[in-house]
Amino acid sequence: MPVAASAIYFLNLRGDVLINRLYRDDVGGNMVDAFRMHIMQTKELGTCPVRQIGGCSFFYMRISNVYIVIVVSSNANVACAFKFVVEAVALFKSYFGGAFDEDAIRNNFVLIYELLDEIMDFGYPQNLSPEILKLYITQEGVRSPFSSKPSDRPVPNATLQVTGAVGWRREGLVYKKNEVFLDIVESVNLLMSSKGSVLRCDVTGKILMKCFLSGMPDLKLGLNDKIGLEKESQLKSRPTKSGKTIELDDVTFHQCVNLTRFNSEKTVSFVPPDGEFELMKYRITEGVNLPFRVLPTIKELGRTRMEVNVKVKSVFGAKMFALGVVIKIPVPKQTAKTSFQVTSGRAKYNAAIDCLVWKIRKFPGQTEPTLSAEVELISTMAEKKSWTRPPIQMEFQVPMFTASGLRVRFLKVWEKSGYNTVEWVRYITKAGSYEIRC
Amino acid sequence: MAMHGMRGLSVFISDIRNCQNKEQERLRVDKELGNVRTRFKNEKGLTPYEKKKYVWKMLYIYMLGYDVDFGHMEAVSLISAPKYPEKQVGYIVTSCLLNENHDFLRVAINSVRNDIIGRNETFQCLALTMVGNIGGREFAESLAPDVQKLLLSSSCRPLVRKKAALCLLRLFRKNPDVVNVDGWADRMAQLLDERDLGVLTSSMSLLVALVSNNHEAYWTCLPKCVKILERLARNQDVPQEYTYYGIPSPWLQVKTMRALQYFPSIEDPNTRRTLFEVLQRILMGTDVVKNVNKNNASHAVLFEALALVMHLDAEKEMMSQCVALLGKFVAVREPNIRYLGLENMTRMLMVTDVQEVIKRHQVQIIASLKDPDISIRRRALDLLYGMCDVTNAKDIVEELLQYLSSADFAMREELSLKAAILAEKFAPDLSWYVDVILQLIDKAGDFISDDIWFRVVQFVINNDDLQPYAAAKVKEYLHKPAVHETMVKVSAYILGEYSHLLARRPGCSPKEIFSILHEKLPTVSTTTIPILLSAYAKILMHTQPPDQELQNQIWAIFTKYESCIDAEIQQRAVEYFALSRKGAALMDILAEMPKFPERQSSLIKKAEDAEVDTAEQSAIKLRAQQQTSNALVVTDQRPANGAPPPVPVGQLSLVKVPSMITTEDRNLTVQASSQDNGTLSKVDPQPPSADLLGDLLGPLAIEGPPGATVPSEHNAVSGLEGAAEAVDGSAIVPVEVETNTVKPIGNIAERFHALCLKDSGVLYEDPYIQIGIKAEWRAHHGRLVLFLGNKNTAPLISVQALILPPGHLKMELSLVPETIPPRAQVQCPLEVVNLRPSRDVAVLDYSYKFGANMVNVKLRLPATLNKFLQPIPVSAEEFFPQWRSLSGPPLKLQEVVRGVRPMPLSEMANLLNSFRLMISPGLDPNPNNLVVCTTFYSENTHAILCLVRIETDPADRTQLRMTLASGDPTLTFELKEFIKEQLVSIPMVPRAPAAAPPAPPAAQLTPQIPANDPAALLAGLL
Repeated sequence: MPVAASAIYFLNLRGDVLINRLYRDDVGGNMVDAFRMHIMQTKELGTCPVRQIGGCSFFYMRISNVYIVIVVSSNANVACAFKFVVEAVALFKSYFGGAFDEDAIRNNFVLIYELLDEIMDFGYPQNLSPEILKLYITQEGVRSPFSSKPSDRPVPNATLQVTGAVGWRREGLVYKKNEVFLDIVESVNLLMSSKGSVLRCDVTGKILMKCFLSGMPDLKLGLNDKIGLEKESQLKSRPTKSGKTIELDDVTFHQCVNLTRFNSEKTVSFVPPDGEFELMKYRITEGVNLPFRVLPTIKELGRTRMEVNVKVKSVFGAKMFALGVVIKIPVPKQTAKTSFQVTSGRAKYNAAIDCLVWKIRKFPGQTEPTLSAEVELISTMAEKKSWTRPPIQMEFQVPMFTASGLRVRFLKVWEKSGYNTVEWVRYITKAGSYEIRC
Repeated sequence: MAMHGMRGLSVFISDIRNCQNKEQERLRVDKELGNVRTRFKNEKGLTPYEKKKYVWKMLYIYMLGYDVDFGHMEAVSLISAPKYPEKQVGYIVTSCLLNENHDFLRVAINSVRNDIIGRNETFQCLALTMVGNIGGREFAESLAPDVQKLLLSSSCRPLVRKKAALCLLRLFRKNPDVVNVDGWADRMAQLLDERDLGVLTSSMSLLVALVSNNHEAYWTCLPKCVKILERLARNQDVPQEYTYYGIPSPWLQVKTMRALQYFPSIEDPNTRRTLFEVLQRILMGTDVVKNVNKNNASHAVLFEALALVMHLDAEKEMMSQCVALLGKFVAVREPNIRYLGLENMTRMLMVTDVQEVIKRHQVQIIASLKDPDISIRRRALDLLYGMCDVTNAKDIVEELLQYLSSADFAMREELSLKAAILAEKFAPDLSWYVDVILQLIDKAGDFISDDIWFRVVQFVINNDDLQPYAAAKVKEYLHKPAVHETMVKVSAYILGEYSHLLARRPGCSPKEIFSILHEKLPTVSTTTIPILLSAYAKILMHTQPPDQELQNQIWAIFTKYESCIDAEIQQRAVEYFALSRKGAALMDILAEMPKFPERQSSLIKKAEDAEVDTAEQSAIKLRAQQQTSNALVVTDQRPANGAPPPVPVGQLSLVKVPSMITTEDRNLTVQASSQDNGTLSKVDPQPPSADLLGDLLGPLAIEGPPGATVPSEHNAVSGLEGAAEAVDGSAIVPVEVETNTVKPIGNIAERFHALCLKDSGVLYEDPYIQIGIKAEWRAHHGRLVLFLGNKNTAPLISVQALILPPGHLKMELSLVPETIPPRAQVQCPLEVVNLRPSRDVAVLDYSYKFGANMVNVKLRLPATLNKFLQPIPVSAEEFFPQWRSLSGPPLKLQEVVRGVRPMPLSEMANLLNSFRLMISPGLDPNPNNLVVCTTFYSENTHAILCLVRIETDPADRTQLRMTLASGDPTLTFELKEFIKEQLVSIPMVPRAPAAAPPAPPAAQLTPQIPANDPAALLAGLL
């Protein structure tokens, strides 16, 4: 197993150390000064997450207003280090109840030290699963042995959990109402030419689950993906009913998924951890349904005027609607005055990002609102460099729509006691980097 | 202030200050810029207040480091605003945002001009400040006259005139060609009469600039400057506000004295006297006080005064007064003052005559060498270096050496270099120099550049009496426990060369020297190992008779390094191993290093280069430092061996040099000589390539040490004779002028040797001409016929042939025609008479012109000693009485010859026979011995019987013992040497193609074409 860290530092944006932990003594305590000097105070910041200064490697990552810096002096596994940081942040979030920022760190010094001790040992990552860590690292104080009331819950056996067959789930959970929530969240990445032809397009999706189930349930998930359907049709020796099958690329599963069964039967079956987790991730490059089409026309009229016309067409079902649609149309830096006409939503000029920002709160399917704007530019000293025309960017969320067309065919829950469960399934498509050249 | 009431601006600034990070700041700035753009684009226009506010914001954003590329128009338009607040913003923003190359400035020029010629003083000041700050060409062109007028106008207040003077100064500095200053001398003089010190100070700045450009025109200002200086020095009429800590306007004083330094000298005795009085007053009146500000001011004045004193070449008294003052400074505790004292003393060194005075402070300066402040130490070092001369060199260098071990690393390299240079420059005797350098290497080996140790080696080689001393000294150093690698290099080199000179001393036997050196071998790097190997080879060479044990040890080392990965080490190991098997012949091959031709010390050169960097830029710099480098080395040098003797065959020395520098020495020469002088550079271009061994085995390298075989060699005046001997010895002919573009066909040396054995053949051939020879020899007479054949269809013109006969031959060449017609052959008979025995040969200096090419060839003629021999058979009865009657030297000589080319006995007999030495078999009972009889004829002696006995060793064919007897001592000697040469050299066959003779001209030889058989061609010619 490779070393991931010799030391970890949490810095605020000014570069002050909020908290740090040295795991090995092969790096000096003042290493973070080097980071401050050579990365934070230069333009390098944010250009490359891995830097080498004076024989030490610095891996850093910014999460809200905190820089997390890992310092290693040996040849470390960079991917492992970053994965460790991401997991650690998820762990902290689950402990702090959502937010991870400077204030949260300041309020939880003791807890963070305790966790840092636990999740890494001599530079080697350890168990980062919140479910298990919560068993023995608790936020409550130590109970006094003279306390009159004995604990009503038995002290959970952490060792058994860590070493047992189902490390991610505690035994003996009881819920009154057994519920499963399943969300398919997809984000669409698109680069389209001004003529409307797709240059690059893919969808990254993940299936998030939240389980409140008693006992040790066994779940089985069926999707309309190609492999699963083919296997099924083989088993049942009849052709599939629905025409569309989805081909998933790069599927990764949560550790709870039984891979031997997936390999043999092509079904996703698993004993879920308690609470929230990410069941699987996938990517799709073929047959993407784009939710929006954008038709821009931008004309430069002389040195000081521009005319911008943008038509956005929603191509999902008429009954559905998109939320929080933001279209950012870039304009030159020397923009001085703008005037707009929009058929829906609101538009304004944002000088800080040099864009016309057009916001539509609720965008029904099968409509095509338009924006037309006149832009006046100020004359400048520097001889006019031709404007580079950056692409139009779009943000949106479309509930109950999947760009990939992925559907849950079934979600079966099986448990010894045979209770009834309620399953909730949601779909949502978001914009990743959705860009249209103009 | 104009800021009052500009809420938007203060809100913006406080927003920016409240930003947590750069990103937030950028967003805020971009937002504000968008806002400003929108406002400027507003059709309704802006009120002056708004315009002012947004322009201020723009300036603030610009000062934060963001690009602001709009709004210049607005800023410039504010300049013409009627009110002060707007105008001020306009001027400030314009001078910040725009530079002289912006086109927008043109728009502003007119409004600026209006302000300058206007009557409002405040506006005039604003405008002058901006013009002075920007100082562009267009401003200069259109505004300079107005500014000049303003400066001279009497109606202006001093405030405006001050600014005008500074503005004009800036315009003049930027564009001296545009600002018209013709006829300004009078006006400047007029300005210098000004009573107001402020205006005077500004005008003086202007004057300094003008005078530095052209001092001739401003002679009239000189007395005025002196007057101003006098006024200030006497503290007459100086208002309170211009007195700084009791010093009347130090700035004006400094500037005035600076201006005076631009005048080459002061002729007028009155002015000069007044000035010196003033300077005297300054020198006397300055002291070190507690107050830092006062010190700064008074010292600024003082140092400028010192510079002026130096510039004016004041009397010696004043100079020594200066030095005394500086001595006081050097002794002060305050480091800044001490620094200044040292620095100025270094400057004073440039003035002659004060050295003696400075020397009085030597102790203090040396004390400064131990100052905690490194800049002071550096200055002290510079000063010590500068003040060093023959009298105090020993002290100073010893002090430097002592200091070296405690000096910090940053200084050590400079320190050691300087110590080395001083030691070389001012050494009272050479052994001291060697001591110093060895100490240097010992103490700061890491900081000794190669130049330093090359130099000491050169010295030792060039000075015979130094050699044993140096060898003994380095040996001492080697006994120390930790020896620096540079020391190992030096000692290996010196011990290799000269350890035999110590051989009688206890503990200095070759074996011991070897073991001392060899101890160091494991610790050194690959650059030093070759030097060590050379040293071993030399030690081995000097160990005669060979010490078997030592030999085996050294051979074992050579064998070990034969497979070394480093090519240099490997090559040396292989070569030395092969050479060392040659026995005593090694002595000839690894001869002592020749003396180096004297040249400028590379160290001094290096230091001179370095000095240029630190040179000061001031008026006194004009006088160059005239230090003659009297390196005493140069004086008592004999002309180096390699120097060409002044004879017609001067180029022969080119051959001579490489033959004396044997392989390993040659490499060292290349190493040791960073710069080559003429002679050596001829040697160096030969790469010490793989055929070096070939070179060595080739005819060239095997040659007796010059001192041994030819005693007259060293006095270069021996002229022709010495040179001719050189030819003889080096067994190589092609002494062509380097400019020859014509390449000879075939190997000239081989042809010569063939002709030594035969009586007819080709002597020389090139694409244009072939020279054949046919000879007849009768007793001491000879008749040679030269056949000059033109091979071309064009005539050869300007043909000239000149015989340079050696002393023992009388030669007469019949007339050579000036032109040789195409495809014709000319015969030139040559009469030769032999006067006495000698091995020297005659040289034919032959030249012709073909087309534009002038070809000049020098050829040896085969009128060698053996041509005057006549073989006679001798019976035992005749032989033995003769042999016995000639007993002992000089008539009978015996020598053991080593390095003989191994050949069977019969072949040797044939060779001797072809030299007209007749073998008389049966005289010696031992079949391995040869007995030879011959008679020698010369005009002086007629026939002399010569008897030779050669004893060969069947086990080792490379050596033999030769005994010669004849009735004439010269003949015995010459004949012995002649036979020896023929036996040890390999005259006939080149051993391998690689064995090209190493002399540069011969190296270009093209291999002979087989079809061009000389004999066949000659037969055709004849």
